[in-house]
Amino acid sequence: MIINTKCECGHQNRVGTVLCEACGKPLFEPDGQGNLLEMRYDGAARRSQRANPTWIDRIWNFFSSVKVAIYLIILTLLGAMLGTIYPQESTFINLSNPGDYYKTTYGTLGHIYYILGFSDTYNSWWFILLLVLIGSSLVICSLDRILPLYKALSKQKIQKHMEFLTRQKIVYQGDIEGSPQEWITRARPFLKKKGYRVHTEPDALLAEKQRFSRWGPYIIHIGLIIFLLAVLFRGMPGLHMDEYVSFPEGEIKHIPNTTMYLKNEQFTVEYYSEKELPTEFQGTGKMLPKLFQTKAVLYECTATCNDPSKKPVLKEVLRHDIEVNKPLSYKGLKAYQYDFDMTPKLRSVQPVLVNKVTGEHYGKFKLDMMNPQRSYTLGPYTLELKNKYMDFMLNDDGEPSSKSPNPNAPAFLFVVKGPDLPKEGSQYIYFPKQIDKEEFQQDLINEKLGGLEKKLELDVLAMGDVDFAKSTTFLNIRTDRAMPFVWIGLGIVMLGLVLGFYWTHRRIWLRVDQGRVTLGGHTTKNWFGMRREISSFLKQMGITIDEKSLDNGRNKG
Amino acid sequence: MKRYRRPVQIVILFFIVILGGYAIGSAVLGSHDKPEVGDKPPSFALLGIDGSVHHLEDYEGKAMVINFWGTWCKPCVKEMPALQAQWEKWKDKGVVILGINAGEDQMTVQNFVDQRGVNFPIVLDSDSDAVRDFGISPLPTTFFVSAKGKITSIHTGELDLETLGNQIEQLVQP
Repeated sequence: MIINTKCECGHQNRVGTVLCEACGKPLFEPDGQGNLLEMRYDGAARRSQRANPTWIDRIWNFFSSVKVAIYLIILTLLGAMLGTIYPQESTFINLSNPGDYYKTTYGTLGHIYYILGFSDTYNSWWFILLLVLIGSSLVICSLDRILPLYKALSKQKIQKHMEFLTRQKIVYQGDIEGSPQEWITRARPFLKKKGYRVHTEPDALLAEKQRFSRWGPYIIHIGLIIFLLAVLFRGMPGLHMDEYVSFPEGEIKHIPNTTMYLKNEQFTVEYYSEKELPTEFQGTGKMLPKLFQTKAVLYECTATCNDPSKKPVLKEVLRHDIEVNKPLSYKGLKAYQYDFDMTPKLRSVQPVLVNKVTGEHYGKFKLDMMNPQRSYTLGPYTLELKNKYMDFMLNDDGEPSSKSPNPNAPAFLFVVKGPDLPKEGSQYIYFPKQIDKEEFQQDLINEKLGGLEKKLELDVLAMGDVDFAKSTTFLNIRTDRAMPFVWIGLGIVMLGLVLGFYWTHRRIWLRVDQGRVTLGGHTTKNWFGMRREISSFLKQMGITIDEKSLDNGRNKG
Repeated sequence: MKRYRRPVQIVILFFIVILGGYAIGSAVLGSHDKPEVGDKPPSFALLGIDGSVHHLEDYEGKAMVINFWGTWCKPCVKEMPALQAQWEKWKDKGVVILGINAGEDQMTVQNFVDQRGVNFPIVLDSDSDAVRDFGISPLPTTFFVSAKGKITSIHTGELDLETLGNQIEQLVQP
C-alpha cells in the first residue's frame, strides 16, 4: 500500500504524519474536515508507524501503544490488590511452614490463596512480568514519541499553512494598516517582553516560549524506568539484606554476611508511668514501653575476618543510640530497634574457694559460661574443669546433661586436688546460681560425688563478681543498596512533573496576507491564560478585542 | 525507512529480554532464603574441634552428609552412633560426614565426642552463621550433598542406621 504523503507545499512526509512537517497543513483527517487540529506530538508520525511492518515492528508497535500501557497498568494494579487480601509471606520474620500457616489461619480460602501463590504476590513471576512489560512500554512509548516530537519542534517553519492557523484553538483575524513588515517589526518587542522567543519572516512570525515543558512527561518516564529497574533488581545478591539479630548487652557480635560487628553497650527500656497512661489502661497493670534504646557501637573488621581460628581485628567506626525510628546508619547498613528481651543472661562469675574448716579464702577466679579456662590454681588447691552443663538436668539414665545451650541453670563439674584430698582428686559440682544450688541440691550431689562439700566450697562473695547481660536487644539489620536509585528515580519523576505542571509550551503564529493578519495560538494547557496573553498583546498592537472572541470554539457542543 | 532505526529497535528489545528475563528468572528460581533440594549448599568457614578451619570448598568432589546437632538435643545424641558407624564404613570411599554443632563451646563438644567415641569431623558454629545460612529450625537436620555439590535430600529429625545407610547409598550412586 502506497499512501501519498507529499504535502502541497512540496514536503515529503513520513507515513502516519497528521500535520505536514513543514507547513502544518492537515494531511490526515480522522474526524472529518474543519474541526480543530490534532496537535499531539505536533502532528508528527510516531516512529513505529510504518507502511510495511515486520514482526519486530509489530512487537514495537504493541509496546508503543498507550492503550496497551493503560491495560498493563490496570492489570498490575489488580494484581497488586490480590497481594493485599492476606498478609504476605515476606512480612513474617520466621515462617517456617507458610503452607500450614495460611491453611490454619485463614481456612480453605487461605489455602487456595497460598496454592495460587498470592501469598507472595510481589515476587511472583507474573507480577514481575507485568512490571517488565510496563517498563518496556515506558521505554518504547517514550522513544516512539519523543524523537519525532523533538524533530518537529526543533525545525519549525515560521510561515505555516493558512488552514493550520485558522484551525488552532485560538484564532484571530483582522485587517491592519501599513506594510506587513512594519507590523511584524512592531509586534516583536511586545512578544519578547512576554518572554517569547520570536522568529520572523517578512510577512510571518513565530513566537514560542517554555518549550522545555514538553519534555516533562518523558522526564517522568525516565524517572519511572530508573525506579522500576531499581525495584526489579533490588533482590540481586549483595544489594539487599534484611536480618533480625539478637545482641546481648555487653557483647560484640558479628553481623551476618558483612564485615561489620556490633556491640550493644547498654540497653534501656523506660515504661510509661501509671499517670501517663490513658485512662482506659490505668489500673489494668499494662506496661507500655515509652522508650527503648540500644547504645550501639559499630565495628568494622580490618583483618582475619573470615578465619574463625583467629580473633578478628576490629576498628570502631560508629557510635549511635538506636531508638525506634532512629536507626544506626553506616554506609547503607541500617540497624533498627526491633524488640528486646529483659531476661538476664549469665556471662561469668568470680567465685572464691573457701576452706570450710579453717575459713580460709583462696583466689577469686573468673569462670566464663562460654569457653571457660580449663584449670585453676587456688592456694594449695588445683581445680580442673571436667565438664559443664549450661541448663542442668539429670537425664533418663540419671546422668547430668543439659536441656539447652543457654545458661539458664549452669553447672560446673570440677576435679579438685590438694592437701587432704585423694591423689586422683575429688569431684565437685558447682552451681553459680543460688536458686539452682537449692533446686538441684548441690550439697547432696557433692556428697554422692565424694563428700567434698564438707571441706571446701565455691562461693561468690559480692554481686560485683557476677557478670551478666542484663538484657538482649533485637535489631533489624538492613541494607538496601537499590534504595538510592529508587529515590533518584522518584526525584527525576518529580522534576518531570514540575516541568509539565508549572510551565506551558505556548506558541503564536502570525501571517499577514494582503493587509489581513491571521493569528493562531497554541498552548499545552491553561488556554485562558493564553487568550489573555494574546489579547493583551493585541491591545498593545492597537487592536482591542474581547478575550473570549479568540476562542475558536469549533469543537464545542 | 531510515537505516539506523532497526539496530536501535533490536538493541532495545534485546536489553528488555535480557533484563526482564533475569528479573523473572530470579523471581522463579532464586528467591527462597533456605537452601532446597537441588541447590548448592551455602558455603561456610567454621572452626573444627581439631583446631583447624573447615570450609565447604575443602570437601569439593566428595559426597557429604552435613549434620546439624547439639549435645542438649536428644534425637541428635541418639543418632550419633549411626553417623559414627556410617562414617567408619564410608570414610575411605569418598564420603564425608561433617557434624556442625549449633552454638556450643569447644569444651562441651569435646567432652561429648570423647565420651561417645565420635571421630568424624565436628565443627563449631559459635555465631550460628551456618544455622542461619542453612535455614535450620529444628535439630537435628541433615543435608545430603552429592559429589557434584548439589543437595540431594534434606532430613529433619532423627536418622536411624538404615535410613542413613540408604541415603548414603543413593548419594554415591553414579
